[in-house]
Amino acid sequence: MKSALLGRLCLALPWALTLLLVVDIDSGRRRSGRPREPGQPAAAANLSLPTIYAITPTYSRPVQKAELTRLANTFRQLEHFHWVLVEDATFRSRLVADLLAGSGVPAYTQLHVPTPRRYKRPGMPRATEQRNEGLRWVRKNRSLQNSGVVFFADDDNTYSLELFQEMRLTKKVSVWPVGLVGGRRYERPLVEQGHVVGWYTGWRPDRPFAIDMAGFAVNLKVILSNPKAVFKRGGSQPGMQESDFLKQITTVQELEPKAANCTKVLVWHTRTEKANLVFEPKQNQDIIHIEV
Amino acid sequence: MPKRRDILAIVLIVLPWTLLITVWHQNTVSPLLTLRKGAVPRSAHCSPDDGSEIGNRRDFGQSSDSKEYCPPDKDIVEVIRTEYVYTRPPPWSDILPTIHVITPTYSRPVQKAELTRVANTLLHVPNLHWIVVEDAQRRTTLVTRLLKETGLNYTHLNVETPRSYKLRGDIRDPRFPRGTMQRNLALRWLREMFNLNNTQQGIVYFADDDNTYSLELFEEMRTTRKVSVWPVAFVGGLRYESPKVNAAGKVYGWKTVFDPHRPFAIDMAGFAINLRLILQRPQAYFKLRGVKGGYQESSLLRELVTLNDLEPKAANCTKILAWHTRTEKPVLVNEGKKGFTDPNVEI
Repeated sequence: MKSALLGRLCLALPWALTLLLVVDIDSGRRRSGRPREPGQPAAAANLSLPTIYAITPTYSRPVQKAELTRLANTFRQLEHFHWVLVEDATFRSRLVADLLAGSGVPAYTQLHVPTPRRYKRPGMPRATEQRNEGLRWVRKNRSLQNSGVVFFADDDNTYSLELFQEMRLTKKVSVWPVGLVGGRRYERPLVEQGHVVGWYTGWRPDRPFAIDMAGFAVNLKVILSNPKAVFKRGGSQPGMQESDFLKQITTVQELEPKAANCTKVLVWHTRTEKANLVFEPKQNQDIIHIEV
Repeated sequence: MPKRRDILAIVLIVLPWTLLITVWHQNTVSPLLTLRKGAVPRSAHCSPDDGSEIGNRRDFGQSSDSKEYCPPDKDIVEVIRTEYVYTRPPPWSDILPTIHVITPTYSRPVQKAELTRVANTLLHVPNLHWIVVEDAQRRTTLVTRLLKETGLNYTHLNVETPRSYKLRGDIRDPRFPRGTMQRNLALRWLREMFNLNNTQQGIVYFADDDNTYSLELFEEMRTTRKVSVWPVAFVGGLRYESPKVNAAGKVYGWKTVFDPHRPFAIDMAGFAINLRLILQRPQAYFKLRGVKGGYQESSLLRELVTLNDLEPKAANCTKILAWHTRTEKPVLVNEGKKGFTDPNVEI
């Protein structure tokens, strides 16, 4: 009798242990998956917040790492944010890969596509291929079941945290003022009764959408529903990139004004000076290599 | 019959143990993967030799700054981390030394943008006290409002540089020491607020509003005993300027092209001072008059330390954690003489 009981115990024990372990893991995973901070409990609890996809074209030059660093320091504070960084390069660079890994931005994608040499002339639109690559990734990897907002964030601009709160609830295409662009302190859409009726800008106000790349965001569903909408090269005049893109997906009437009916500047079109490297030696360079 | 029952019994015993071991193994390994940088990679990180996992830093030797060949099928790296966040600014700690960051600033179109992005960086740093000193007769609403909205621990001061100093030569003339009066005011404020009996440790750092700072920099300077130094990018016409550090970990010179014989051939962003030292030498200030270009930093540091006392940081001065970026003056040609846009809209 005893041996039979013992036998049955031996049989039951491992099953019981397995069950316990599985239950423990399951509850542990659920515990750690929840965000821990008390700072923004409301937003964190709302798991259905749309994700902001920021498409940032970037290219190698001395100030690249500095620009991406300070951009990362802004972006890593945002929830439900996915940084799509697209390098103008034939190969993915170690500098950017390492930077992203250590940036603290929770979700990111690193892409790359080189701009053909014939398009690298002054006066030609820049970063077209990179933005399109970002759009291609979004279209391939996201579906209409995801909720999100797509935004084009150049790596030398300055973004306030408030801007992302404003753009998150974009239903189709939202717009807002941009500082330090168009030859003026700011450019902004003119708003009457909650609708955009015109453009306040110092440069070519006759454009269909006289707005800077940093001045609008597009709902993910609109991007996915218009799979052919891309930034164009052929027949595109300088400064018309945004217009040519937006007219494929929306009309002025549909635009949603943000930032207090387009009266607050939450993003600035800053540009960084080219680094002065006049004393860099052509020969007799340093014995160690330091990444800048 | 007994044979079948035996087999059944053996299976019933072996199976759960196998399951148990597998599940237990998985449970202990996968948290380790997520803890390492907190990344759960969707696709393998690309490396030239083998498909090693993300987080496995391999030394690529003397490769150039950025280029590395990656096979096309491992092109796309997508990373989604499952653990997240912290409060901003981080909660105050009683143990960590406070970093007093002194930022002189002046009114110009890009001012709000510059201060915004510096604030976005500083928001991550624990025990940070931001001292913003405006070059203005009165504290402006722009800066007042910005500082309040950041949520940072800050002090807002102002002192106007007299016109006689401002108008001397081009405002971009490097021989003209900008921000000097503002920095000195902040030093004086610190000396009034803190005394040597105060046990709270502090570090003083001069951070201009157009530079770029990595978060690692602030942790490096936190352990400063007297004066610590590190390389700064984009100064002196070079990719970076750096202190020369010998095998014993002591600074013995300066790796610069522009006047390497300055007592301290270093940029404002390249050093930090322990608050105690500032309090012990109450006469030490930046010299305002008769200072040659590039000698500002020396005018203060030589009152505080000797070369031997300097503590090299950033892996013995081999890493760049601060960049002397400069922002272009924006083209506002369409504003005209009288200004076109609504001046009430703050930029």
